[in-house]
Amino acid sequence: MRAKLYDVVVVGSGAGGGTLSSHLAQKGLDVAVVEGGPKVNTRTDFNTHAMPFDFANRHIPTMKPGKPGFDSERTRGLGGKTMLWNAVAWRLSQRDFKGRDHDGAGENWPVDYKDMAPYYDMVEREVGVCGNLDHLEDLPDGIFMPPAAMKCSDLIVQRGAAKLGVKVIHVRKATLTQARRTRPACHYCGNCMAGCDVVAKYNSYDVQMVPALKTGHLDLYPDSIVREVMISDENRVTGIKYIHRSTRAEGEVRGRAVVVACACAQSAALLLMSKSSRYPAGLGNSSGELGRNFIPHFTGGIECFLHELTGTPATNDEGFLDHAYVPSFMHTRKRDYARSFGCQFNYQNRRAVGWARTLPGFGKAYKESVKARYPAYLTFAPYGEMLPNKASYVDLDYDRKDEYGLPQARRHVSFQENEKKLFAAMNQWGVDILKSAGAEIHSVGPEPRTNHELGGCRMGTDPRTSVLNQWCQSHDVPNLFVVDGSAFPSASEKNPTLTIMALAARTADHMAGRFKKGEI
Amino acid sequence: MAEGYNPERREALKILGAIGTTCAFPFAGDELYGQQVAAAPARKFLTQPEFAMVSRIADLTIPQTDTPGAVAAGVPAYIDYVVSTNKGFQELFRSGLAWLDGQRFLEMSEERQIALLTPISAAVDAGKDDAPQEKFWRAMKGMTADGYYTSKIGLVQELGYSGNMARSGFPECHEH
Repeated sequence: MRAKLYDVVVVGSGAGGGTLSSHLAQKGLDVAVVEGGPKVNTRTDFNTHAMPFDFANRHIPTMKPGKPGFDSERTRGLGGKTMLWNAVAWRLSQRDFKGRDHDGAGENWPVDYKDMAPYYDMVEREVGVCGNLDHLEDLPDGIFMPPAAMKCSDLIVQRGAAKLGVKVIHVRKATLTQARRTRPACHYCGNCMAGCDVVAKYNSYDVQMVPALKTGHLDLYPDSIVREVMISDENRVTGIKYIHRSTRAEGEVRGRAVVVACACAQSAALLLMSKSSRYPAGLGNSSGELGRNFIPHFTGGIECFLHELTGTPATNDEGFLDHAYVPSFMHTRKRDYARSFGCQFNYQNRRAVGWARTLPGFGKAYKESVKARYPAYLTFAPYGEMLPNKASYVDLDYDRKDEYGLPQARRHVSFQENEKKLFAAMNQWGVDILKSAGAEIHSVGPEPRTNHELGGCRMGTDPRTSVLNQWCQSHDVPNLFVVDGSAFPSASEKNPTLTIMALAARTADHMAGRFKKGEI
Repeated sequence: MAEGYNPERREALKILGAIGTTCAFPFAGDELYGQQVAAAPARKFLTQPEFAMVSRIADLTIPQTDTPGAVAAGVPAYIDYVVSTNKGFQELFRSGLAWLDGQRFLEMSEERQIALLTPISAAVDAGKDDAPQEKFWRAMKGMTADGYYTSKIGLVQELGYSGNMARSGFPECHEH
């Protein structure tokens, strides 16, 4: 059974690997998904509804006792990061795909919005995305379920932003606001990022892979940590080698094509680790660009208290975390930097009161001031687009090996002039919007922090400056594909997951066509 | 959130950070998903006199009002537990508490205790943490706040957090 030759071996099971593998299996191809973490039962294994005082250190563990998974920075477990994500689901716009044409900086994608639109449609229909039709040039509308109502605090921010000519819209999330097939609507418990125990929030395993398993064309290899993508003398990848997570036994899974989709920096790291005589600097790295052009999002983060809500009763309105969003508005305004930012806000979890540490004073007055501010607390996080630069890349740290003896992925991030200007502008806009909404600013993150890893195996039209072509296919090795955030040539300021899913659906379509013609 | 940016304090905040910072800003990083520490019995590091001193300061920081204060919420045991997991905290608490003991802190009247702590607290609020007392106060107050507002008394009874509710839909805001 395990000596089987699959059509496609997919490394990773998150938004990219989960979407791609399930689409291929539904099209009748035999697919193996090799996942570094265990199989997790969404409905029973996460500590979704725990309270901090249930634990001695007041830190709620991700998993219930005795339930393995998601125990490392690599977020290993079937479903990958979609199990713990916040489900924000934007389409990129034509300006995002062709940013270089607009401001001369960064890189264009090898696709246009019109190439991606059918696949955005496809995945939105498939998984369910809620949102409002906002008719914004830089944030294309999609096929939406009704949005969740905004919180009172969102409306306060919306009124403040409006005074500055800035729009606040309903967030768009891959979370159901209406029941759909076997999935109920969201019940707004506020713990989306602790594992959604009813699957109202999309995760790739329950929503896509479980139905695909019924086709008989999908096999899962959980707990299998991939250490190498194998290549033949004929310049074709032949499968992968893995180490079993608990037994440490080594094994292979063979296929006619291999798709690497194991989370951005890790995907770049796996290819860098897969050295051969033909590719001594890493598989598919004849350009020397593998691991380069690492462009994660960056953010600061502002904490504030809304005066209108200070001293009111506790709101208990966590909902599905953020219900509103400030879409990019600087693309069309005068500015001294390239690209733009968008702001996620109001997604604090009310079980966490870390801000009380730095509220001044002590004693009765202090206790009262914490209580008064508790319903008024709000976090505001602008996300900026980073441009590729030579000093930002992923490589392997052979001095730091993990417990399986594999070198760790090492991320190098250097913020350049454009990022510094953008960061200053987004902090200033954030503070201005919040003050306009009548807020007491508690803290402003003084340094950019990265999030949403992107780049490292970028797509492009020129094999000398990119790793993949527009089909997420290696320029060097025709049956090797990479489908996750690492393929992004430019980041945009928008949360990337829906675009990863659309890319995966598009790549699956392309691969299935090539298989049909006997080209793979 | 704000305190996470000072690199000098990063180490000391590893445990504190696991509670507040990551939850407030969930993007803070996957690395914290792994920070699970086993449950612990009471008093692991502090001596009995030290524990009494910590209890007194905790109750001065968050006293009983119409809701119970820090000691009733079990904050001293939480602090003892957190301190026991980190060498830096152990040194900070041992020396900080020894200094207070030298002032005969527990024998003072409440007014004098408050008078002693007020300038230290004000200095820390002004952003200082050069003196050992300031470092100690910052950690002690942070842990007191964490311990209290993650306790059932602090989070549910004092702040009014209701825990998870299943709603049939998200209600429109009606207050405007």
